[in-house]
Amino acid sequence: MNRCLLQKIIRSSAVKRDLPIATSGVNMAQSEQKALQTNIEQIVEYLEHNKSHDVSLTDIMSLAEVMADSLDAHVEAIDQHAYSEFTAIAAEITCMKQEIAALCPTDMRNNSIPDAGRELDAVVDATENATNTIMGAAEEIMCADPSNHDDYAALVNDKIIEIFEACSFQDITGQRISKVVRTLSLIDQRVSSFIERLKVQDLEEPTAQEESEEERRRRELILHGPQHSGEGVNQDDVDQMLQDIEFDSVGDQEEKKSDQSEIDNLFA
Amino acid sequence: MALDLSMPVLVVDDYKTMIRIIKNLLKQLGFEDVDDAADGTEALAKMQDRRYGLVISDWNMEPMTGYELLKQVRASDSLSKTPFIMVTAESKTENVIAAKKAGVNNYIVKPFNAATLKTKIDAVFDS
Repeated sequence: MNRCLLQKIIRSSAVKRDLPIATSGVNMAQSEQKALQTNIEQIVEYLEHNKSHDVSLTDIMSLAEVMADSLDAHVEAIDQHAYSEFTAIAAEITCMKQEIAALCPTDMRNNSIPDAGRELDAVVDATENATNTIMGAAEEIMCADPSNHDDYAALVNDKIIEIFEACSFQDITGQRISKVVRTLSLIDQRVSSFIERLKVQDLEEPTAQEESEEERRRRELILHGPQHSGEGVNQDDVDQMLQDIEFDSVGDQEEKKSDQSEIDNLFA
Repeated sequence: MALDLSMPVLVVDDYKTMIRIIKNLLKQLGFEDVDDAADGTEALAKMQDRRYGLVISDWNMEPMTGYELLKQVRASDSLSKTPFIMVTAESKTENVIAAKKAGVNNYIVKPFNAATLKTKIDAVFDS
């Protein structure tokens, strides 16, 4: 390679600088990159073959300028691509914000969920009051003196009416619970719609979350709470278990608790 | 072990209503001396001060559960022989097995009735 070739490479690179910049994506940028690489290889080859000869400062400056300018097209192509990507991400974020806004999260946080909580508190209070009224009436009947028949009959009659009145709590608590169910349905509907629009899918293997202190306590102390009808064991099952399982084998049975069929066999 | 209706009975539950129900049922069954505690810690403190002939305890309470109370009672030299019945809504197989392993004398699933309570108390004192 001689000085003429160096000049040719410099001219070639200079022409490439004037080529239209990649405007439509990665393919154009790749061709630019290839041309740049070829130029650099030729320059390196030239410099290696002419190590012993003098290279003028002008040539070195020209080469540096060509290399720096050659990168412009590549950098600009990257800029264009990154700009497109960021625009798409911004559009997605805007869309997601609109979807979240459609959930009316502020309304849920400020109104729906607190209202549901207040309704449930009212249910607890109403059932407690009714239970106390009914039990109070029953206790008065239990403690009443039956020797005076008329007085006893009148007292029992009054207390029975009190019990009937107290039982009317069921109507109001039923309405309150219906309101809570409606709120939960609304939340479920909005969240389901949100998940559907964003096409969110469950992870096949959910990432393990650290167990909280409360969860650890509930696991270690075997706190499951009341079971629904048909779940858990009934009193007959419990009686059978207490009768059948020998104390010595209890440890073994516990080891097998993860195998439901083994447990089910206890009740067969 | 004979059933003595004059023996003190300790009912442990964090719901006052349930304590009231069990106390009334026990009175109907003839028990005269029925005391109560709101959780395992209070129950254990009362058991240190007084010798109860029977403990009827819920499982799910805070800070000390009925299951923890049972284990502490069985681990104590002075209390280990106290008859202990668990009355609870915890109705999973592993709960029953754990309670039995811890030394419970009987196990009643909520909701229950007076007849069940009587049967289980009789069973504990007949055995």
